[in-house]
Amino acid sequence: MKIDRRRLVALTAAGAAGVLTPELLRGSAAPKEGAKVPGGDLPAREASWYRRLEEGRVECQLCPQACTVADLERGTCGVRENRGGTYYTLVHSLACSVHVDPIEKKPFFHVLPGEKALSFATAGCNVECKFCQNWEISQFRPEQVEAYFLPPETMVATAKRTGARLTAATYGEPVVFWEYVRDVAKAANAAGLRPTVVSNGFIQEKPLREVLPSLSAIKVDLKSFREDFYRDQVRGKLEPVLKALEVIREVGVWLEIVVLLIPTLNDSEAEIEDLSAWVFEKLGPDVPVHFTRFHPTYRLTELPPTPVATLERSWKIARKQGLNYVYLGNVPGHPGENTVCPGCGEILIRRMGFRILGNRLKDGACQKCGRTIPGVWE
Amino acid sequence: MSRELTRRELAALLGAGALAGAARTVGSGPVVRPGVVGLARAEAELGKPLGRATARRVMAAALSASVGTESGVEALARLFGPSDTVGIKVNCLAGPALSPRVELVEAFVDLLAEAGVDRRRIIVFERSSRELVRAGFTIHRAGPPYGCVGTDNDYESLPSSCGAIGSCFARLVTTTCTALVSFGVVKDHDLAGVSAGMKNWYGVIHNPNKYHDSGCDPYVADVVRHPFIREKLRLTVLDGIVAQCHGGPAFRAAEVFPLGTVAASTDPVAADLWAWQVIDGERRRRGKPSLEEAGRPVRWLATAARHGLGVDDPEQLRLVSA
Repeated sequence: MKIDRRRLVALTAAGAAGVLTPELLRGSAAPKEGAKVPGGDLPAREASWYRRLEEGRVECQLCPQACTVADLERGTCGVRENRGGTYYTLVHSLACSVHVDPIEKKPFFHVLPGEKALSFATAGCNVECKFCQNWEISQFRPEQVEAYFLPPETMVATAKRTGARLTAATYGEPVVFWEYVRDVAKAANAAGLRPTVVSNGFIQEKPLREVLPSLSAIKVDLKSFREDFYRDQVRGKLEPVLKALEVIREVGVWLEIVVLLIPTLNDSEAEIEDLSAWVFEKLGPDVPVHFTRFHPTYRLTELPPTPVATLERSWKIARKQGLNYVYLGNVPGHPGENTVCPGCGEILIRRMGFRILGNRLKDGACQKCGRTIPGVWE
Repeated sequence: MSRELTRRELAALLGAGALAGAARTVGSGPVVRPGVVGLARAEAELGKPLGRATARRVMAAALSASVGTESGVEALARLFGPSDTVGIKVNCLAGPALSPRVELVEAFVDLLAEAGVDRRRIIVFERSSRELVRAGFTIHRAGPPYGCVGTDNDYESLPSSCGAIGSCFARLVTTTCTALVSFGVVKDHDLAGVSAGMKNWYGVIHNPNKYHDSGCDPYVADVVRHPFIREKLRLTVLDGIVAQCHGGPAFRAAEVFPLGTVAASTDPVAADLWAWQVIDGERRRRGKPSLEEAGRPVRWLATAARHGLGVDDPEQLRLVSA
């Protein structure tokens, strides 16, 4: 079988993680579970969020793209298809990427530090970021990537067997496999695991509210605080993402935000000030904000990596705006990776990349001054 | 125009360009006729195949009318040379009832072979083998009597940008073929307005689902003006024996009508302009609003014309009947 670069990346990653090996999958599922799924044999399941229109069209009600889809066509995501007026998801239980990762890699810095998360993704995405780090799965349709049939129960059983305390829908865009997210979360909760999601937050309110209560935590990529950036670099919109962030906060699911800073495109002082002020005002000072470093990739290969000085400047701006937990990402060893008590300045969790070097939290509080540090610690 | 070529793409294009350049020296006289669409008629009953002789006659007539030659073979000899590897992209999305007819495609292949192209270098293709089979084609990777394959996810490993699109193109297009033919149908499209010759090229990129907003404008034009297509596209052929005026891209029996025409053009924009006119004509006849009135004007045709891909001015459209 010919293996191209995309397939090699997916296979190598899965192999390195040691999750999708026959040994791990054997004995844990019905015969067809865990099996490689040939490209043309996609398991179709009726989608949960859409409405039928006239003449066999459907309107997707999952994400703000709100695609109107004619018969035999797919939405922007590439994973939902209209077949004779019924809308189907083609990726439920069809994982193309499964790894065991440290939860810090998501990144969640206030969720069970040092624990492992069984992380999974399907093909497809509802936007197209020119700087996508996972474009080899997110920008392809399900029949174009190697995938495995892993129903929610199998996913959770695999998580338990690998010692993961969390599941994480991540890598690609969980919004496009939201039914799968919902069902894995349900199975994870039943098994005593903590389900999490790493998303772009580009989702309509109804499906968001329906699934949020079953999640332990959600990380949202706030890609910019400017509509034109979302239009030109993302093919999405900012406003629905801000709305989703407010809904998540209102529902009370643990929320962390990542802002990937891209030189010249979204790293101005004014934009960081606006973003930080909005987070403070609408979400509160205790929502962690991670400023992470861009590396050239996909369609944005002509810009340099983000200077560390830009990250540090943004950190200062956000702290000045009153945010208590500001982090820097993709700069292993930088002090900006540590969790510091906003009350006394004590370093509570010391990190090096995705590793925990020390954890001085006790019962979710600073041992020195007793201040409660918000997060999911148990 | 924003165009980004990687080193790999450049190498592919240089290779293909050299071959294509050699091929163009084979014929004589003008090979591109802006605004000219050759038409040939063949009566056909819905759901019934054309006879082989009829298919050959109508195909040859449309080709000769489009290029201005005495015969179809001569027309193809003007466009393709013995060193060409010719990729014929068929659009089989709608299944057997509204895909290019096998007998017409095979008539084209026969004429192409008679024009000097080695049958082993003629490849009929679609994005998946499954769709080809469903439409009645038989998969044979290297012939005889000709290659017939799905690209089946064999894409370039890196995306390439042109205007608003950024896609991994099928390697069959980027590296295997030196010349391309769009062999489409004539049908309404719910988002693009028309799916005929140009929209057919969405089938060679890995992410067509990303480019259906804004009535597919400018995306259809951007795909076709990408050097991978533009530098190799020699001909558009449209199977209009039956056409569909509404409800596409899927087949809708109630919206199909017996147009009884095969069209050919070296001008991809003109070919689609003709298809637009035909569809709107049938819509008028049935009392339906025009595509523009229905909110889906074929704006990407004007965009394509602005980029020099062909003629979108109805005043300059020249329909040449055989």
